[in-house]
Amino acid sequence: MSVAEAEVQELHLEQPSSLGRDALDRFRHNKAAMVGVGVILLFVLIAVFAPLIAPYGTGEQVGPLNNSNPEGPSSEHWMGLDEQGRDVFSRVVYGARLSLLVGLVSVIFGLSFGFVIGSLAGYFGGWVETITMRTMDIMLAIPALLLAIGLVTLLGRGLVQIMIAVGITTIPIFARLLRGSILAQRESDYVLAARSLGVPGRRLLLVHILPNALAPLIVQATLAMAVAIIDVAGLSFLGLGPAEPGLPEWGKMLADNASRLDQATHLVIFPGAAIVISVLGLNLIGDGLRESIDPKLRS
Amino acid sequence: MAPLLSVRDLAVQFKTRKSTVRAVNGISFALEAGETLGIVGESGCGKSVTSLAMLGILPKAGRVTQGEVLFEDVDLLKVPDSQLRQVRGNEIAMIFQDPMTSLNPVLTVGRQVTEALRKHMSMGKEEANREAVALLDRVGIPAAKDRLGDYPHQFSGGMRQRVMIAMAISCRPKILIADEPTTALDVTIQAQILEVLKQLVAEENMALILITHDLGVVAGTCGRTNVMYAGRFVESAPTRKLFGKPRHPYTLGLLKSVPRLDAARKEKLQPIGGTPLSMTREIEGCAFAPRCIYATEESRTKTPELRRIDSDDHFVACWNPVQD
Repeated sequence: MSVAEAEVQELHLEQPSSLGRDALDRFRHNKAAMVGVGVILLFVLIAVFAPLIAPYGTGEQVGPLNNSNPEGPSSEHWMGLDEQGRDVFSRVVYGARLSLLVGLVSVIFGLSFGFVIGSLAGYFGGWVETITMRTMDIMLAIPALLLAIGLVTLLGRGLVQIMIAVGITTIPIFARLLRGSILAQRESDYVLAARSLGVPGRRLLLVHILPNALAPLIVQATLAMAVAIIDVAGLSFLGLGPAEPGLPEWGKMLADNASRLDQATHLVIFPGAAIVISVLGLNLIGDGLRESIDPKLRS
Repeated sequence: MAPLLSVRDLAVQFKTRKSTVRAVNGISFALEAGETLGIVGESGCGKSVTSLAMLGILPKAGRVTQGEVLFEDVDLLKVPDSQLRQVRGNEIAMIFQDPMTSLNPVLTVGRQVTEALRKHMSMGKEEANREAVALLDRVGIPAAKDRLGDYPHQFSGGMRQRVMIAMAISCRPKILIADEPTTALDVTIQAQILEVLKQLVAEENMALILITHDLGVVAGTCGRTNVMYAGRFVESAPTRKLFGKPRHPYTLGLLKSVPRLDAARKEKLQPIGGTPLSMTREIEGCAFAPRCIYATEESRTKTPELRRIDSDDHFVACWNPVQD
């Protein structure tokens, strides 16, 4: 037993760690990912404490109406005023709420449906797989933004409708990813071992296969949130955004002021920068997660 | 009395798009309670497929085309899967080759060892945990109590294989199938694992089917050994007799290709020439004939069946068995 004892002593020297903790550790040492976390944390704080941060309300008129030459940034109005005399900084701050909400809700929507479809297809195979996966293929064949435009037309304009439309476009990505991941896990040795112990099918899927198949979905969800934010901004830019005129949606702010780009650059730069920075933050987190979770990149 | 397990004329085929692989071509054997049976053969001869077929866990492409697997007089190939699940892990359990991948990486060892206990023995969490500690202790994992909450990657290969054994024996199965249990481990650990297995079999009166390509492993462990080639048994004898007086040319070839410490220095290892036939075609005659120096005209045309030779318990499937 001396060999075994030696092994134990050696093992007890290291901190007990789980797979998740190892991944978290790698994630924490990834500088880019931590920058992403910082950026997104900042945006979340801004969104949560918007009423405290923003000096004015989103629809509040604090300066003169000036259609042709709105007032630029100043010490009083950091991001200037828009054509209706509203404080742009306040609107961008409140816009963080909308964008994060839209990103989160649409991804949760797409993820839940994609999760169910993907697990059914991956586990049952056969005609269930054929029908669901071919449907997903058809959805993927249509460019996401076009599909979203069609869906918004169908569902009508409005914040909820947009979130659903963008959410639907992400379903096939999640479904396919999970299906592939399940297929890979289903053939693995530990699943065979579990079957040899008489573990029934449903438990095999829920307890053994799914937890091992989820990692790529977490990564994809982060990246999909970034895409969702862009998509919603894009839809707003195309005039398919929320119908409420005063809503401080970043994409809508871009769209409203695109024609004034040469006179009032600040009206476009700040909401645009907000979109870019938040999306960049999410992408950094997503890439960092992928690197820390993906077994192929593990050292 | 009927034996505990009796496999009759079992055949398994794998259908691929282009061809059909005849992995197992009609094998029969019987196993009594407490017996230790070794199944020896080279890679791809159908050893593992036989055991997977017996438990009904063949990969999707595989199909049992004929035969029966009688366990306590019930044909396991005919019962519904729900009933088979009561047998798997509970009556017949299996240990796999690679302990590094055969444990679920996201579940704690405790959860995996208690899984079968809770399912088959209807134990509560507390009771199952206590039993798991006893099991881990029994297979030689030190400080078992502290290790229930650990994950597989915190164990070494040998320790993981012990965990696999603990899982497999948790419900006191009547038959334990060990599919290359020591192949992925280094030699010192191999000996330890085999020792654990031998001890369990003796203490629990468990029957053991030990599948391996390593003649050294069966030599010290198994009462009886079946030699498999191209999906058939070519020789079956008590291990001592098989090693002492092999009658099938393939068995002889296997024995000659094992290095021996007591051999004279000049004696060279003799490999078996050629490679096994492709198993996608129906084989006419003896499958080993193309590689066999003893092959006769008969060997090439008629498939030999296992028949009694020398004594009551020695069988060989050969038209021209090796003489002394």
